[in-house]
Amino acid sequence: MLNPLLITVRESLRYRGRESHWMWLLHRVSGLGIVVFLGLHIFGMSMSAFNPALHERMLEAYKTPLFAVGELVLAALLIFHAVNGTRIAILELRPQLWEKQQVATRWALIITFALAMPTILVMAWKSVSHFVSGQ
Amino acid sequence: MAVTTATSGRTVRYVQPIVQGRSRFERAMWLFMRYSGLALVFLALSHFWLQHLLIGTHAITTAQTVAFWGAQGQPVTVGQLLFRAYYAVMLVLAVGHGINGVRQVAYDYFGHRPAAYKALMGAVVSIAAVISALGILALLLGAQASPEALTR
Ligand code: HEM
Repeated sequence: MLNPLLITVRESLRYRGRESHWMWLLHRVSGLGIVVFLGLHIFGMSMSAFNPALHERMLEAYKTPLFAVGELVLAALLIFHAVNGTRIAILELRPQLWEKQQVATRWALIITFALAMPTILVMAWKSVSHFVSGQ
Repeated sequence: MAVTTATSGRTVRYVQPIVQGRSRFERAMWLFMRYSGLALVFLALSHFWLQHLLIGTHAITTAQTVAFWGAQGQPVTVGQLLFRAYYAVMLVLAVGHGINGVRQVAYDYFGHRPAAYKALMGAVVSIAAVISALGILALLLGAQASPEALTR
């Protein structure tokens, strides 16, 4: 018996199907990525009430190169998940629109790109100037 | 299979998501995922853009948390109360949405192994309960000013 997780990974790589499949996979990966960060983030922020020194250390950790890159990935995941989740919600709550699926998918990608690109560029710019000037 | 009329006037046949037929709970969760998601578009994106673009990660300090939440033992302003309410609503919706999302994924991959599925979800729900309780308590109590931050 094959593990369903292995089947998903294998079939996802082999599947030469339509964009809907990739959107589903990306939605899943982005949702899981965000939820991991969310746990860490709520814990870190709650420490401002219980252990301010630890809270401060977590804020400092956000300013390291590792998190500076992670922040860019998080922005892309969150924006994609938000836009694509909106597409799913609208299409499923209004089934009459289902014949417009492919147009909706294209627009979801365009809107994701339009929102994520400037966000990522500004954040990358802020990080690079922080590391260069040392502030 | 259900039938409806598309905006163009054509007849569309579609399958109801299986989850709707399964149980009351699954149907409620299915709706919750959609409505909490729509609310999170505004809550999570405004939060992300405020902290990462307008303020900037490298400018965020403990002092800022104290300014946003109010310090413990100090009177709380209306603005700080609104911020705490905004964070509390976002916390509940995001954690609920996240746990239910993880449950769906776990069910897809481990649903055929009930013991593993239950153990996994038990761990996920326990961790989420502890973290949410810490978060909600922190929002009720307010921030403590870090001694290092004050002397810097
Ligand atoms: C920003 C606005 C958001 C929207 C519009 C949204 C929308 C959705 C929708 C509609 C689903 C259901 C997909 C399905 O049943 O096939 C979903 C799944 C999921 N979401 Fe979100 N979501 C948002 C934010 C978040 C956040 C902040 C998290 C992290 C806590 C998250 C984590 C997940 C997870 C883990 C899944 C399960 C993925 C799967 O079943 O494959 N989402 N989201």
